[in-house]
Amino acid sequence: MEPVIIRMASLCRHYEMGEQIVKALDSIDMEFRRNDYAAIMGPSGSGKSTLMNIIGCLDTPTSGIYELNGINVAEMDDDELARVRNREIGFVFQTFNLLPRMNCLKNVELPLIYSGVPPEERKERAEQALLSVGLGDRILHKPAELSGGQIQRVAIARALVNRPSIILADEPTGNLDTATSHDIMDMFGKLSDLGNTIILITHEEDIARFTRRIIRLRDGRIESDEKQ
Amino acid sequence: MNGNLQQFRYETAESLKIALFQISSNKIRSFLTALGVIIGIVSITMMGTAINGIDMGFEKSLSMIGYDVIYIQKSSWSTMGEWWRYRNRPDLKTEYAARINRIIADNPDTELLIAVPQMSTYQATASYKDRVLEQIFSLGTNHEYLKTASGDLASGRFFTPGESAGSEMVCVVGDDIASGLFPNENALGKSISLKNRKFRIVGVFKKQGKFLGLFSFDNQVIMPLGAFEKVYGRNMFVTIRVKIRDQARIAEAKEELLGLMRRIRRIAPGKEEDFSINEQKAFKSQLDPIKNGIAAAGIFITGMSLFVGAIGIMNITFVSVRERTREIGLRKALGAKRRTILLQFLIESVMICLLGGVVGLVTALSITFVIEKAIPDFPVQFSFTLVLASLGVSVLTGIISGLAPAVNASKLDPADSLRYE
Repeated sequence: MEPVIIRMASLCRHYEMGEQIVKALDSIDMEFRRNDYAAIMGPSGSGKSTLMNIIGCLDTPTSGIYELNGINVAEMDDDELARVRNREIGFVFQTFNLLPRMNCLKNVELPLIYSGVPPEERKERAEQALLSVGLGDRILHKPAELSGGQIQRVAIARALVNRPSIILADEPTGNLDTATSHDIMDMFGKLSDLGNTIILITHEEDIARFTRRIIRLRDGRIESDEKQ
Repeated sequence: MNGNLQQFRYETAESLKIALFQISSNKIRSFLTALGVIIGIVSITMMGTAINGIDMGFEKSLSMIGYDVIYIQKSSWSTMGEWWRYRNRPDLKTEYAARINRIIADNPDTELLIAVPQMSTYQATASYKDRVLEQIFSLGTNHEYLKTASGDLASGRFFTPGESAGSEMVCVVGDDIASGLFPNENALGKSISLKNRKFRIVGVFKKQGKFLGLFSFDNQVIMPLGAFEKVYGRNMFVTIRVKIRDQARIAEAKEELLGLMRRIRRIAPGKEEDFSINEQKAFKSQLDPIKNGIAAAGIFITGMSLFVGAIGIMNITFVSVRERTREIGLRKALGAKRRTILLQFLIESVMICLLGGVVGLVTALSITFVIEKAIPDFPVQFSFTLVLASLGVSVLTGIISGLAPAVNASKLDPADSLRYE
């Protein structure tokens, strides 16, 4: 068995909306192991965005345990969380979130700046990452000069560049057409074969089918957790 | 720790690049934002330059009176407006000078060097052929006058002890008089008329300039005391000029002179003296409050313009933070710490201010340069301290105006910011 990377136990995330308490996540128990390739699914309001924020250390649980590589993240302060995000997590967003004024190379270098990698090494690693997503010839292009699929591949390169423990993709194909979506999912498949741990959030069944494990949420609780 | 420092360096370099990029890609906005600072810095440096200039002109004027000369007169300089306090005092006599000199000659410990008598009038008129100069300063003294006064001779000589003792009709004139009466010829050796008496010019002073812009040292005719009395009578304004040994011991010198004069005047102990001992410090103590008042008012007014500029920058930085909320969210998701974001926006506002400061300084320098060329007499003094101070003020303005928006940005929640539309 591969080692456990993420462990959640009785994890809750509650929001106060005036008088009312909204239980976005209600007592979640779950584990992810290394080289997992999982999809988190659920209708809107099921808590999958909240779960994604907590897995990505963008948010902390109200109660319960969230361990990343054996370290409890729930008690970390903002700067420690920033460090964890930088080292352990590679984000891929639905809206790509590249900085439009910078070329691909600079976009991919960004996480390395925040982990204190010297400029020459930064450039080298960013080039390699872009090469590994098949964009070696687009290094100096700006996002506006690329297609949607290419932009998302730049984002994947950015997620890979700091060699994180997990790649966390939030609706990575939500803004792409079907053919491009399948290209991107093939890419995730390859990355998984190379040993990466990938968690993606989607509401599309045919996208989820590319993964090896599907977790369904409903009303902040796990409805099902199946290997396929 | 070393790695942390290195990371901080990279983050700062990145922030600098972002700031430069932001400024250059929003040129008009950046310029308009910086305009407030530019105006503020221009007004502050111009103010400082003017105050410096006033100070310099003032020092120059005071050195004309002399730092090591004290003046015995009927009235005091430090309460010049209150002439009625001195009206009933008895007039001074020119003989006092000789008596003082005799007394200090017998005192080896004296702080005083020499006393020189002087009689003067502001109402003199000098003429040569059909040229007439009115309202000139006519002054009678002895051959030792130059020991107690500033000013070098451009040509000729001062009058001799013999001429002085013999009350001969000779005079030494200031530059304005020489050039006013003799525009195209040499004044030396010519005879000018003062109240229908002929005076032969034996010397001409170099140009000295005005004292505090009021009274010109170039506008005087100096002659032997006896000759002055022949022309203007004996009842003119008398001053005893006393040069002291050491300007650092001016207080002791004044004290000694006070005692001496009380002796000469036979003033009983405990009675108030009926004369005044004046020095250049009296002007300083009168003018310093005025100068400080100008400086305080000026700094307040110019400070207001800088304050308005700072508000502009704060405002635009808030807008910038709002516009780039998603970028902030993304940077935080990728590992930017609070201080990274804080620094990024702070550097941006500081850089705008610094650019504004530099542009402002260059503008102020150019204005100063033009003024200096146009009006050479106008006292302006651009100092290096002023340059440093205004750049410092720019940076400070940047920090103050950028702090609130930058702290705001650094506290943004990354998850919320990423979803911000």
